[in-house]
Amino acid sequence: MQDQASLVAVLNSTWFASGLEPGIQTRLAEFSRPFAAEPGEELFREGDESKVFGVVIKGRVALRTHVPERGDFTILTVEPGDVYGWSALVPPYRATSTAVAIEAVEAITFEGPALRAALREDAALAQALYPRVLVAVARRLNATRVQLLDLFAAEQVRTW
Amino acid sequence: MVMPVSRSPRGGRPTIEGPGFLARADLQVLFDLLREDGRRLIGPTVADGAIVYDDITSVDQLPRGIGDEQSPGRYRLRRRGDEQLFGYVVGPTAWKKWTFPALIPLTRSTHDGHKVSFVPEQASPPKLAFLGARACEIAGLAVQDRVLIGTEFIDPDYMVRRANVLVVAVQCTTSASTCFCTSMGTGPEVTEGYDLLLTELDAGFLVDAGTPAGRAVLERLPLRPASTAEQYGVAATVAAVRARIGDPIPADGLHDRLLAQLDHPRWAQVAERCITCGNCTLACPTCFCTTLTQSTDMSGNAALASRSWDSCFSPGFAKVAGGSFRARPRDRYRQWLTHKFATWWDQFGTSGCVGCGRCITWCPVGIDVRDELNAIAPPVPLSPESRLVEPVAATPNDFVTAKVVSTKSETADTTTLTLTGVDPAFSHGSTGQFAMVALPGFPPLPISISRFLADGIELTIRGAGPATKAMCALQVGDQVGLRGPLGNNWPLDRAVGRDLVIVTGGIGLAPLRPVLHAIVADRRRFGDVKLFYGARTPADLLYRDELERWAQRDGIEVSLTVDRAGPEWSGRVGIVTHLFDQAAWDGSNMIAFVCGPERMMQATSTTLAGRGVSASRIHVTLERHMECGIGLCGHCQMGKYFVCRDGPVFSIAQLGDTFGREGI
Repeated sequence: MQDQASLVAVLNSTWFASGLEPGIQTRLAEFSRPFAAEPGEELFREGDESKVFGVVIKGRVALRTHVPERGDFTILTVEPGDVYGWSALVPPYRATSTAVAIEAVEAITFEGPALRAALREDAALAQALYPRVLVAVARRLNATRVQLLDLFAAEQVRTW
Repeated sequence: MVMPVSRSPRGGRPTIEGPGFLARADLQVLFDLLREDGRRLIGPTVADGAIVYDDITSVDQLPRGIGDEQSPGRYRLRRRGDEQLFGYVVGPTAWKKWTFPALIPLTRSTHDGHKVSFVPEQASPPKLAFLGARACEIAGLAVQDRVLIGTEFIDPDYMVRRANVLVVAVQCTTSASTCFCTSMGTGPEVTEGYDLLLTELDAGFLVDAGTPAGRAVLERLPLRPASTAEQYGVAATVAAVRARIGDPIPADGLHDRLLAQLDHPRWAQVAERCITCGNCTLACPTCFCTTLTQSTDMSGNAALASRSWDSCFSPGFAKVAGGSFRARPRDRYRQWLTHKFATWWDQFGTSGCVGCGRCITWCPVGIDVRDELNAIAPPVPLSPESRLVEPVAATPNDFVTAKVVSTKSETADTTTLTLTGVDPAFSHGSTGQFAMVALPGFPPLPISISRFLADGIELTIRGAGPATKAMCALQVGDQVGLRGPLGNNWPLDRAVGRDLVIVTGGIGLAPLRPVLHAIVADRRRFGDVKLFYGARTPADLLYRDELERWAQRDGIEVSLTVDRAGPEWSGRVGIVTHLFDQAAWDGSNMIAFVCGPERMMQATSTTLAGRGVSASRIHVTLERHMECGIGLCGHCQMGKYFVCRDGPVFSIAQLGDTFGREGI
């Protein structure tokens, strides 16, 4: 059993979980476990059941998507403080991209089914955690839109 | 006796050309003439250990042979050992005592049953002559003119009092340690705003008139023409005063420098000394804040509203129902200093300070505004890269030529050209400036200068259209036409001593590259330097060797990100603002330079503002259709600016809500 106090401290050092009430952090720590991955290790694969929600503490996780005949594209990297595997909390619980550690990664992970059960049963936990998840996903959505604008592409002259 | 030198063309009154000389013994004649004209004479006299302004009737009341010594919080009279009547510097009295009295009745009101009435008080001020007004004081009157009668609404009391004043100015032949009129551009020479002007010499005065009213008095004085030697003597004496005062507050850029320092720790430090007594505002010749007092009779039916001087140092000055906006002394000190030296410009088109030094001398704890200004908003020694040079071939019909000596392919569509044989103006250009680059048959285009070399420049060009593609295709030995360097520069001088954050995307690194060169060349002048650079793909990153060198060797924190990448890229993927939107840094001592697509600059400035970087310290460089490069063709207008002439670098505060507004 990992020292719970240190897990709470680590969680509190991330922007995702910092400032959560101590009771909530302790409750979260009950489900959490430290996780490490070597460079190149695949964390999950696009389309598979999404089993784990995680917060990156160290290292870099690439989220990739595969385009037939064009190969793999990294569409986002998850940096320390940010989360991966949010799809483990949202039906249909399927991974929307493939996650690969591109540096040695340390993370804190939560088993999807257990966390979902806890969120159903513990209203205080749900009330504290869901807004954070929403912020993380909204930040990602916003970034995706900006990327979609392809702002650095060569100028396209439009005169209307 | 009147000494006619020539007759005026109309053949009537005697007159003399140029300044006349009035013997000291004849000064009483001036007193008597002014009083004959029905004027009360207000002038310098010794009272309570100081030279104050008061009613005088005789030359004997002037401070003959008395001078003063002034320093922060200290004022002493001293014997000069000569006969000079005006051998002192300004004392505690300001002329506003008569033009803008400390207390005036404003409105009488009555209550009669259900009826109320309000009757404005009308001033009927006496005709006055101010004898001995100095250059800084005349500037003070002009500032109050601007404030009180120079805009849409006028102060009727001030207007009538001011109209009744004849100004007999005296040019300074001595200075105090507290003087700084030279920095404020108000003295010591008296150049305007006077009716009569006296300058004291050993045996008398040089006298000149500045208005018909002054001339009417002058022509009745027992003058002889001043000799050339006397005129030179006066000029030399006043010049010596100027030299003695020096330039204690370099005022160039002070407005911006000061407003950029609203969070400076010095505000709290000076507030530990400041006792918020308001003496500075009472002694100040320009302070105009007032408050109303109601006094009623015992029945409560008749009341008089009076207006009296107020001070922004008073605890109640900014009080509203919920409390005071400026509860802390540091808030009030900052309000006063920033108003005098900065926001006054915005409101009235002039400085609120005339450099008389009264607030220094009469501060009971000896706070010296010059020290505070120099500590809070120090004049920054401009590095060569912060100075703008005269462009060559400034007008659109003219070009100088330069030769391509090397080309470097940065990315698939972007090339850096190194040019030599360019006019030296280009080498002396400044970070952020651009050149209009021309090839025959193509429209000249504004291209940011991406490097300044001793004998040339580099241009980094993305081949997007026919002209830029032609430029990218240039070979060693080819020539191009150039105009410039044009536009303004990144305010690198303001980054000295601060942390600097540079956020850029795509080709936007090109105009910031010279900033990085300048920082690397003198790294110690800057605090932490962070470069956040986003590109479309890893292959679109510019200057890859340099990026590595800046990070490895030059102490610059370089963070890169791309919008998309293949699996071989182990760096970050995502938008540039995600490089710092969750960072823990404190932006209060940070200045930001941002260049990229406008949409990206908006997102960046919003994120930076969220990190505590104020709008006046976030600078962006705008891209607009620039054809002439000098503000003549009208294409690059953005609100009140021409981007080519007034920019391309602007602070977010300058741009206000035009930045990011659709269709501007």
